Amino acid sequence: MRITVDPVRCEGHGICCLFFAERIDLDDWGYAAVDPAPFDDSRLARKARRAVAACPEGALAIELTGTPAAPRRR
Amino acid sequence: MTLATSAESAVDQGSVDIAFGGVGEPGTRLLAGPEPGSGAESLTAHQARLGAWPDVEADRKALLDVLDLSGLRGRGGGSFPAAVKMAAAAGGQGRPLLVVNASESEPASAKDATLVGLRPHLVLDGARILARAAGADEVSLVLHRGNRAGQLALSGALSERARADLDDPEMTVTLGPDRYVAGEASAVVSLLEGGEAKPRFTSRRPAALHGVHGRPTLIYNAETTAHAGLLARFGAQWFRRAGTAERPGSTLVTLAGAVARPGRVLEVMAPVSMGRLLGAAGLDQPPAAVLLGGYAGAWLDGATTWDLPFSHAALGHAGASIGCGVLGVLPASACGLAETARLVTYLAGESAGQCGPCVFGLAELAAIFEALALGQASRADLRRLHRRAVGIEGRGACRHPDGVVGLVQSALRVFAPDVRRHLRGRSCGTTGGPIFPIPPTTGGWR
Repeated sequence: MRITVDPVRCEGHGICCLFFAERIDLDDWGYAAVDPAPFDDSRLARKARRAVAACPEGALAIELTGTPAAPRRR
Repeated sequence: MTLATSAESAVDQGSVDIAFGGVGEPGTRLLAGPEPGSGAESLTAHQARLGAWPDVEADRKALLDVLDLSGLRGRGGGSFPAAVKMAAAAGGQGRPLLVVNASESEPASAKDATLVGLRPHLVLDGARILARAAGADEVSLVLHRGNRAGQLALSGALSERARADLDDPEMTVTLGPDRYVAGEASAVVSLLEGGEAKPRFTSRRPAALHGVHGRPTLIYNAETTAHAGLLARFGAQWFRRAGTAERPGSTLVTLAGAVARPGRVLEVMAPVSMGRLLGAAGLDQPPAAVLLGGYAGAWLDGATTWDLPFSHAALGHAGASIGCGVLGVLPASACGLAETARLVTYLAGESAGQCGPCVFGLAELAAIFEALALGQASRADLRRLHRRAVGIEGRGACRHPDGVVGLVQSALRVFAPDVRRHLRGRSCGTTGGPIFPIPPTTGGWR
């Protein structure tokens, strides 16, 4: 899996990088800059989930890598 | 599978006869037909010139095969294989929608406007073919609101076709705002949903899979669409006789900047040298630099580019991309840094204002580049420029910031001697310019 940020939603609150510094950095303006490197161990997955939950804008998501994106249920 | 029709001999003599040509010139494909001053080609003239519909039209599988074998790639700038996009739509849910994207946002590009304005039936034929291939019964044609001639040509052509009872899919025209990023795929999806024509973060869900109201949405550039119409008539082998193996078919280019007729559209049939193409633009020696692919494209050094073939591979190797086909000329009398500063400032102003790295990053790139052009930037500013460029790449919902970064980085490379002179606070002694027109930024996103 990997972490993604929707840059339209990201408002630069900067909370995410406190939870998941391994993959999320803040740029000079405070916006989340994510490292798309995949990870699969449970420790990082837990941190990623915390970061996703902490974002007030719902801008972060965990994407599964290796398999195609699931079609959204209608 | 035989796709030859009686009209084939009229269009194709077995190989391409000319390296390139303009509107109305025999030997071209998309531009062949009436002279430029004749306005939109009528349905009667179009059908007389190209012949009847081929049998293959009713056979969806055959259409998909032709599209695949042709190797047709998108002409909006991305160069994505048309057949791969269509295959992706098969994985979506719901009835697919076909979109013809004629919202030509590059200020210096005129190829889509030329096609829609002068050869509307070529575009509509292609829309019909792509819709059949995709299993779509609806087509949306998207244009910028400012393209009045295109709107007139399309509405005229659509009523001609309705009278002729051609059994086309349902085709509607949607007008979008005259903004640079409004033609980007996810922005077009948003517009067609009734929203603002601003890009969205789509991540791993492209429009082909999940587009307008969740439907699989196939968005093809107007030129790509026009090619598809001819393909169905004349076949994949015919199509591949033009162009190169890695990017088959002819390619429309728009001449811009210091050329005899800015806005003139040429159809390149064979990998002719850039020098010969620029010769057609009125140049008899290499210019200072060439701007390839539009305002968010890349600069190439004029002297080294002169002998390169106009091909995806050669230009890609040189650090540029054909993109939307804009071929801009910078004369020796103009300052490449000043031109770049103007372009970056324009492009920064065309940010949809949604993503932080784009809003703040592009504004900063523009400010530093303006200072550099004026001879007021320091080495520290230049380092910050490099850092910013790398820092915002890939961080927007769309590729707009990436395009600007590419332009900036190519400028620093191609105009390196000028950069050194400007850093010492000296004027580069050029008085020519501005060369590339900057359109006014219009308000509104619907």
